[in-house]
Amino acid sequence: MRVFVASVGLTKIGDHWNKSLVDLAVEAGRKALSSKIEPDYLIIGNMFSSLAASQEHLGALVADSLGLKGKPAFKVEAACASGATAFHTAYNLVKSGASESVLVIGVEKMRDLEPEYVSQALAMAESAEYTQFVGASFAALNGLLARLYMHETGTTRDELSSIPVIDHKNAVSAWHAQFRKEITPEVVSRSSIVADPLRLFDCAPVGDGAAAALVVSERLVSEASKFVEVLSSSVCTNNFSIYERDDMLSFSSTREAFEKAISTASVPKGKISFAEIHDAFSVTGAISLEAMGFSKKGFACKDAAEGKYSLNGELPINTFGGLKARGHPVGATGIYQIAEAYLQLTEQAGENQVKGARYGVTQNMGGIDTTTVVHVLGSAE
Amino acid sequence: MMAIQYWRNKDRYYRLIGVSCTRCGRDFFPPVYRCRKCGSEELKDKEMPKEGKIVTFTRLYETLPGFETQAPLNLAIVELKNGVKVLGQVVDTPEELLKIGAHVRAVFRRIRVDGESGQILYGYKFVVEHVDARRETG
Ligand SMILES: [Zn+2]
Repeated sequence: MRVFVASVGLTKIGDHWNKSLVDLAVEAGRKALSSKIEPDYLIIGNMFSSLAASQEHLGALVADSLGLKGKPAFKVEAACASGATAFHTAYNLVKSGASESVLVIGVEKMRDLEPEYVSQALAMAESAEYTQFVGASFAALNGLLARLYMHETGTTRDELSSIPVIDHKNAVSAWHAQFRKEITPEVVSRSSIVADPLRLFDCAPVGDGAAAALVVSERLVSEASKFVEVLSSSVCTNNFSIYERDDMLSFSSTREAFEKAISTASVPKGKISFAEIHDAFSVTGAISLEAMGFSKKGFACKDAAEGKYSLNGELPINTFGGLKARGHPVGATGIYQIAEAYLQLTEQAGENQVKGARYGVTQNMGGIDTTTVVHVLGSAE
Repeated sequence: MMAIQYWRNKDRYYRLIGVSCTRCGRDFFPPVYRCRKCGSEELKDKEMPKEGKIVTFTRLYETLPGFETQAPLNLAIVELKNGVKVLGQVVDTPEELLKIGAHVRAVFRRIRVDGESGQILYGYKFVVEHVDARRETG
């Protein structure tokens, strides 16, 4: 069974002080439901509603709110990869013939939490007993990774800033982005230190947001006015903590998920028009580009600085700003990436349009490459 | 962390008790259920060596709840003599000695005070071996 995305819906990412978790999920869900197609299944991607809103059981709660009472509905969680794993679940339901149409909503409410509790919430992606216990936050692990990466590859501070610079440039014309302002490498290197050598502008911001996609079968897709095909969906896992891995810089689950995804989709690497990558931190974006083979080991930031990954470059990345500038409401991020790929492949990306976009790749990670989900989407033929 | 969760792990936290594979001899900390090298599920507790060197380090300014009074926090991934990598804080060390490759040893220290129960949690941290100090003491 072929699988398609028939519509998407987004909220702007930022401070939604007057909207709840469910308000945001309903807003994105309704936008994706504006077509004639009724969903027969609802899947929610979310990481820490338990901590941020004292709320679990999101499937039934959002289903009832959207008028989908009676339909099967539940939440899928894989830390920051919750959105893409929710989408992966929807893909498999339609692919297998178990469902004709699945509404997937990724949602996260982060700004209701005090900053140290945002750190606590994100740290839940890592070991409670051996990472959180010693006082290491998720940013701390990424700081450790960044120092090692710079030491091993000779990447400089300014080179590391090149991916955040691309993100911010692309977000200027993205209405749903959290930060729509260009920056220079100096802005990154002079921002406050979070976890040395990582600075504030190396790190994705904290924001609220929801994104939705309606995943449909071949039979229903003719009802959609614009659609894209999901050519593959691949999830891989790694040894849980980076310090438990022989090579901390290899990102084997990104590599394996990507290779499996392009092989299943029968899309050669050279035919990929753009990639939405998981740069929760500048360093994870860089290593991800290397793990997928777009840059040689240690060269991702240099390639970015030379324009390879810019909107008009050889392989545009993060075409609406990526995690750094579009924003990273964790459990929603994977669906934002899918929605942005949909906008590119249906030529609705406006000023951010990648000319002649044919195939798009999305890469969404939970932890530091601990769970990685890669999707390949193609424009309608 | 709940008191019971801490209590269950106290030997691991106090003495760096990991596990060793009885088939191939590889050591692990944190403990694993299945040997990552040979796949054996026959593992027994083993105390890890206390000496190692820094593989990478960071200084964390935005700490987790319960660690505020210790900010900024120096953290490192240390490779112990048996090849096992352990994440922990580096304390009692002048900043200029905090370097990749620096020799460290594990020490027993207070980790933090639990905010809700007031319980003091203890565990391993690392200190950089001061070359000059070692020379002085022979
Ligand atoms: Zn073994």
